[in-house]
Amino acid sequence: MIRFLANRLLGMAVVLFLVCLFTYVIFFVLSPDPAVQICGKNCTPEAIDQIRANLGLDQPFWQQFWTFLSGLFVGRTYGTGANAVECVAPCLGYSFQSSQPVTGMILQRLPVSATVAIGAAVLWLLAGVSAGLVSAVREGKFTDRFITGLTLTGMSVPNYVLALSLQFLLVVTLGWLPFPQAVPFSEDPLQWFMNFLMPWIVLSIGAAAVYTRLTRANVIETLQENYVRTARAKGLSPGLVWRRHALRPALTPIVTIFGMDFAGLLGGALITETVFGLNGVGKLAADSITKNDQPVIMGVTLLAAFLVVVGNMVVDLLYTAIDPRVRVGSAA
Amino acid sequence: MLKKLTRAPAALLAAALLLTGCSGGQNDASGTAGDDPVSGGTIHMLQNADFSYLDPARGWDGGVNAFYRLVYRGLTMQAAGDAEDPNAIVPDMAESLGTASEDGLTWTYTLKDGLKFDNGDPITSTELAFGISRAWDPEIGIGSPWLKNTIAAPEDYLGPYQSGEHPGIETPDEKTIVFHLIEPFPEFDSVLAQPNAVPFPVGTGAGDEFINDIVASGPYTLETYTPGSLIKLVRNEHWDPDTDDVRKAYPDAWQFEIGLDGATIDERLIAGQGADQNAISGKVQPATLARLQSPDLADRVETAEAYCVTYMGMDTTEAPFDKLEVRQAMNYAIDRTSLQTASGGNQLALPATTIIPDAVNGHKDFDLYPSEGNNGDPEKAQELLASVGLEDGFSFTLDIRSQPIMQAQAESIQQALAKINVDVQLNVIDTSTYYETIGTPSQMHDAAITGWCPDWPSSSSTMVPPLVDGRVITEKGNTNIGLFDDPEINARIDEIRAMTDLDAANEAWGDFDEQVMALAPMVPLLQEPSVFLPGENIANYIPNTSMTDLTIVGLKDPSAG
Amino acid sequence: MTFTPTELEAEGAAGGEATGDPASSSPPASGRRLVRAFMRDRAAVACAAYILVVVLMALTAPLQVLLSGYGPLEFDQSAVDPNLGGLPLGWGGGIGADHWFGVEPGNGRDIFARIVYGARVSMTIALLATALTSTLGVVFGLIAGYFGGRTDMVISRIMEFLMAFPALIFMIAVLSALPAENRQALLVVVISFFGWPYLARIVRGQTMSLKQREFVESAKASGASSAQIIFKEILPNLSSTIIVMTTLAVPGYVGTEAGLSFLGVGVVPPTPSWGQMIASSVSWYAVDPAYFLFPGAFLFLLVLSFTVLGDRIKKIAESGEARS
Repeated sequence: MIRFLANRLLGMAVVLFLVCLFTYVIFFVLSPDPAVQICGKNCTPEAIDQIRANLGLDQPFWQQFWTFLSGLFVGRTYGTGANAVECVAPCLGYSFQSSQPVTGMILQRLPVSATVAIGAAVLWLLAGVSAGLVSAVREGKFTDRFITGLTLTGMSVPNYVLALSLQFLLVVTLGWLPFPQAVPFSEDPLQWFMNFLMPWIVLSIGAAAVYTRLTRANVIETLQENYVRTARAKGLSPGLVWRRHALRPALTPIVTIFGMDFAGLLGGALITETVFGLNGVGKLAADSITKNDQPVIMGVTLLAAFLVVVGNMVVDLLYTAIDPRVRVGSAA
Repeated sequence: MLKKLTRAPAALLAAALLLTGCSGGQNDASGTAGDDPVSGGTIHMLQNADFSYLDPARGWDGGVNAFYRLVYRGLTMQAAGDAEDPNAIVPDMAESLGTASEDGLTWTYTLKDGLKFDNGDPITSTELAFGISRAWDPEIGIGSPWLKNTIAAPEDYLGPYQSGEHPGIETPDEKTIVFHLIEPFPEFDSVLAQPNAVPFPVGTGAGDEFINDIVASGPYTLETYTPGSLIKLVRNEHWDPDTDDVRKAYPDAWQFEIGLDGATIDERLIAGQGADQNAISGKVQPATLARLQSPDLADRVETAEAYCVTYMGMDTTEAPFDKLEVRQAMNYAIDRTSLQTASGGNQLALPATTIIPDAVNGHKDFDLYPSEGNNGDPEKAQELLASVGLEDGFSFTLDIRSQPIMQAQAESIQQALAKINVDVQLNVIDTSTYYETIGTPSQMHDAAITGWCPDWPSSSSTMVPPLVDGRVITEKGNTNIGLFDDPEINARIDEIRAMTDLDAANEAWGDFDEQVMALAPMVPLLQEPSVFLPGENIANYIPNTSMTDLTIVGLKDPSAG
Repeated sequence: MTFTPTELEAEGAAGGEATGDPASSSPPASGRRLVRAFMRDRAAVACAAYILVVVLMALTAPLQVLLSGYGPLEFDQSAVDPNLGGLPLGWGGGIGADHWFGVEPGNGRDIFARIVYGARVSMTIALLATALTSTLGVVFGLIAGYFGGRTDMVISRIMEFLMAFPALIFMIAVLSALPAENRQALLVVVISFFGWPYLARIVRGQTMSLKQREFVESAKASGASSAQIIFKEILPNLSSTIIVMTTLAVPGYVGTEAGLSFLGVGVVPPTPSWGQMIASSVSWYAVDPAYFLFPGAFLFLLVLSFTVLGDRIKKIAESGEARS
């Protein structure tokens, strides 16, 4: 187990390092000169050189990449003298456009993103699993076909189309919900719920549809397994058969996918946050893209990759705990 | 001598994204001010983009300048938005406007009593000199260049943090401050009204200290700042209204909600739920205009004149635009009515025939290339082209920005010029690099569509010269994109700039505009005014496309919302 | 475009693993049987018909525009009201004999023409991306699965690395920083670059189990080369999986292209794209819902059709129906 764990951790470190390197190379090549951005409106070539030297932008690529990497662990200082700026670990970089450390910018936005993501995850898990169960129980009947139709629709509607339609219907026309704003839960729980409801629905609908289908398929399959049939034949009550023999194995795969989907939500929430004007990490990424603020885009990319990799890892561990056979399999 | 190219787009953008409104207020203020503003409450400002910088030495655009007015004070300032001439420069912390020496090289100001920072410390000439000297810091002083352009300083002076006290600014006593200029500059009062001429406690503001927190001298101070999301301002208890003739500061607090989509902002203002009735925002989207017809919304609508001109610059150094007749033919041929429709219709665009917009002091009304209904005069244009042997037309490349309205404008130009056999090739350039490209003469094609706004609307000295002065042409960051260089024009610029009677100077700028347009170095296309929809409970909101005066806005009923 | 990769993955899991180990089931259904079973499914036929219509629209766009009278880039200032910010004149966003689907506010461009040309962009990008993704996915999946060992490890690590990437953010960032020329080719490449591991993973798994089957063993014994075994013995047995996965991938790519264009980093204006049209309709939907409804409905129906089609094909491929 310890060896397996060490292996996984090492693999994770390698993947993260590659993500860092790849991202850094891409942005190193594509990024506009930050010195020009800092230098601003009335700039001279000498001033640009000065700033480049201050920030170490005149150093070779590997040197800069190393500084960046070490900044992640021990922090770093941008510039020198009176205007030096401290960027504490984990330093994801420094936005020269807004003069803010990237880590801080992300942290400020994280609560909103977390609220959107967690709410959506809860919603899709509840809706997806229960709809899937109902569908499986009523397999082939009208309810099943109706739910299947719904899931296909849910998977197909682009979430910005859904977001705009919902906003037009529920907010503009009917006035049932407010235009989403990030109201803190502590300020007004009801308003918090009302404001975040629409983003939750929009963000969860695609995943809810997928989870419905998965649950349905898994449950139907499990019900056909021999041991379930045996349990039934032995005369166990249907409720007991369901709880003890059908549900658990049927829902295990859901756990694995859920971990990864949830970790991947940061990227997924970009459109939802942008359409609703919620200032989360996804919106930060979108705004930075329009402003061409590469350090921020890079920071968000790295954080998102980190979450996905860690999510994968946690899922693997959970899976191993549930089903020890996996250990042998994944060694290949 | 000043490169304001990158700033002009910033100002245009800010005007487009953020504040603004109605200098029409001078005339119709009485109509909307039925309910007077009362002290108290919170005003919400809904906006799409964050302010560039809270540090006034760094930021310099219409949106953030309006914000600075709430938290910072200078020696002079632009008059209140509801003043008779809202463009005028009036004293702020100074007892009066500056006194210039005989040779025009030394300007002296005296401070009022009772001036304090938000921490209670008194503001003296020392703090003012310190704050102003920050403009020389190479990394911080990236805002308005005017202090550096006018106040004398040694070449190696790099601001207070690296070089210490500014040698060109004297503080003989606590109340007196003396500026030594590079050369006479009759409009120096306007320079000191720039946002970076404000006081700070000595030694503060190095590095990124004022990025997230500030030291306020105006009626409000920063309570919270979440970059890209939220700014909350509360009253600065140490600001004494008796020392301030301009700012009214009615509300107790300001809340800037940032990051909202333009369409969402309009929807919220129209719906006016809860606190949104206490909200204001920048100009409305063209799509919203149709909905403002209903009587209750129409009552709330405010309009504002344009402070900028949208024009087509032509490279006057190369064929075919090196010929005066060709440039004049362009001026005749353009269909400004179609341009107007393409730019959002007559509420958002007006035909421009002069370089100086109506709202800027110095504007003179003239149209050297008239046509019926502003639809263009292809016959006249054809005649001019024939006179130089171009009756079969020609083809040229027009640089435009990848933005729908500008593309629509370009297409309109394409169609109008097709009538005189001129074939326009469009070269679409990405927004992020557009101004850099056309500001580099080696990269700009035959012509380009762009805009220009004055640095201060009290005069046209920063409106026309940067576009036509042959001596400001540079390899990068060029503002005279037509590369127009006429000795007579250059000489006239110097003459008018030297005039100490500013009213006479402004009149001269108007005539100068006409003199320039006779040589047709560009085609003025449009002035783009704006429409605003303040919340129902907002009073005395006089939006302005150059800089909206937020310090005079208030709520009718502070308990509502 | 929300869950594109995960959706596929989930479907892959359900399709590949949930139906049991391929090694133990009989060889997948042949193409002809699939078609016969397919024709009996009304929903599938309807979806296929809609897709066909869109494809035809895309192919004959210039012809249709000739018929309707307005090109996709042509301005019609007479169709909008300059006093109301350029709101289309007339009912339903200017729907009428002149403009069948109405016009865009502001500039009066014909929505029908833009939809038809937008279909071109949408289909070209989605189909090319699918083709490229499938090729990459199948090739790498086969190689990794068949050769195993170090080759497998390297490919698997690359796949893991690519799947860990926040593809959407990254695609947007890269696209926004790259020059605008050849944007359509770039879109295809970028989408495929992040898309292939999802198919490759499943192909790899199935190849691994097929490799141990008798017919492969006997081919090996008779002296066939690796290439022969891979392409003659294994690939044909993967055809139904590949068909299913490919069909399921298309809607994702249609959505991705539209989404990227919606965010302003996709197809460059003035080239019409549905996603872009939806983005610019945002500020107008309250006064001119038709401007939003047309591209919205066309996009939604196209994605839905591909999804349903993929779903049905998968079911047919899995069920005994095709084999009977």
